[in-house]
Amino acid sequence: MTDDKDVLRDVWFGRIPTCFTLYQDEITEREAEPYYLLLPRISYLTLVTDKVKKHFQKVMRQEEVSEIWFEYEGTPLKWHYPIGLLFDLHASNTALPWSITVHFKNFPEKDLLHCHSKDVIEAHFMACIKEADALKHKSQVINEMQKKDHKQLWMGLQNDKFEQFWAINRKLMEYPPEDNGFRYIPFRIYQATTERPFIQKLFRPIASGGQLHTLGDLLKDVCPSAVTPEDGEQKTQVMIHGIEPMLETPIQWLSEHMSYPDNFLHISIIPRPTD
Amino acid sequence: MLEGTSGDHPVQPQPRQGHLEQMTQGRVQIPSSMAGEEDFFLEEKRFKQHCEEFVKHSQQIGDGWEWRTNKDLGDGYLSKTHFQVRNRHIAQDLREKTSDNIEETLLAHVEESLDDSQVAGVCTTEEVIRYEYHVLYSSSYQVPVLYFRACFLDGRPLTLEEIWGSVHACYQDRLQEGPWDTITQQEHPILGQPFFVLHPCRTNEFISTVLTGPWKHNRHKNYIILWLSTVGPVVGLSVPLSYAKVAPEQNSSTDSAERALN
Repeated sequence: MTDDKDVLRDVWFGRIPTCFTLYQDEITEREAEPYYLLLPRISYLTLVTDKVKKHFQKVMRQEEVSEIWFEYEGTPLKWHYPIGLLFDLHASNTALPWSITVHFKNFPEKDLLHCHSKDVIEAHFMACIKEADALKHKSQVINEMQKKDHKQLWMGLQNDKFEQFWAINRKLMEYPPEDNGFRYIPFRIYQATTERPFIQKLFRPIASGGQLHTLGDLLKDVCPSAVTPEDGEQKTQVMIHGIEPMLETPIQWLSEHMSYPDNFLHISIIPRPTD
Repeated sequence: MLEGTSGDHPVQPQPRQGHLEQMTQGRVQIPSSMAGEEDFFLEEKRFKQHCEEFVKHSQQIGDGWEWRTNKDLGDGYLSKTHFQVRNRHIAQDLREKTSDNIEETLLAHVEESLDDSQVAGVCTTEEVIRYEYHVLYSSSYQVPVLYFRACFLDGRPLTLEEIWGSVHACYQDRLQEGPWDTITQQEHPILGQPFFVLHPCRTNEFISTVLTGPWKHNRHKNYIILWLSTVGPVVGLSVPLSYAKVAPEQNSSTDSAERALN
């Protein structure tokens, strides 16, 4: 039987083979070759694509280059969503490698947040962690940490250092012995078909009678259309980190083991492939 | 100011810390006298009630606020758009023409920039900026959150640096202590578009300075008015004094429901 800790490693080291191609209308001095890269599921596009940027800037004139942004089949990719979430939501049932188009012009102001430096990514990452702890522990654990501990979470992510990250993150996964779980579960549910970017609500991991709430309970409560009707066929898949967890899985366990480094469970509801 | 001595031996200079952190020796811990986490939290039902009262009064005085509902989940937010004139200093030789009909396109409430210094060799031109403010409820922090976006009349959005620069002079010190903790760009949770946000984790800091006791003792006041009149000016939004007249109705069923939740 796999140890629970192995799940933490599997989640952390998940990778998506990706092919980056320069947008055809970008002006280049010579032809731009595509660039291949294994993207960490748990990280952010703008944090791990310095090499991609350098590769394409080599064939472009300086004045043609402004802020980089990425797009998949016409959809601008939100760099502030973890890479694994973007893939699961937009491309999970398509052939690998994932084909992403790279742009250096016409930044889509109405769709994407700006990302002029790593500070922006760090601020966003830390804001998510703080919000997750507000839900789990009324912010008590995150506020008790020193600034260097916060920094260690960020450095662990930035440098892909599992041990360094979890040395601090394990504290965010604890709860008082008298409770059986967190106060509320930090989660967001995404569906590419809705206008609303995600659904987020207060949800307790433990029922009033003491039973553990499951993933199915969460979906029934927050997004009932995602759960199979008794008679109908399941038209959608519920995906986290590229897999479909059983709906009977306790949500408390999922929160502890399958959250992203920002401490949120990012859950995709996608159309089930018909073949 | 020096850091506290809690066993940290920094090799590099640490970023400047807010005074709260200095008091607690480098650990970010709210002193227990302010702690009462429940004390400044606002339950969602009450948030909606206070927004309703707020909009009612806004309609009476023509202040431009409206409530928008999201049809999928039934939640919603307050919204207001206004135009603001800002003085911009530019060098003599780069003088730009200002549009003749700017005055005609302005809406009723135009506020003038406080920055009107005369610098030798520089002329000032007025720019009109369109601000859109939204008040949403954060279930994670159980407080209202102020989202806003700003663009020039030609559609160009303001950058984060321009937004930081436009924060009222009185609040610049606090902003400089931690700009990344205070105002950043974020995705609007209902519209999915980029907005600037005044971070909610600082809301309790602001509100606690306004109220003299825990929220329990201030229930007769409208939270939205108290909160917005405190945080709004930081980002160029003013709340006319006549709102002070608004008092929420006592609703005993919501009160007892809240006590049960806490």
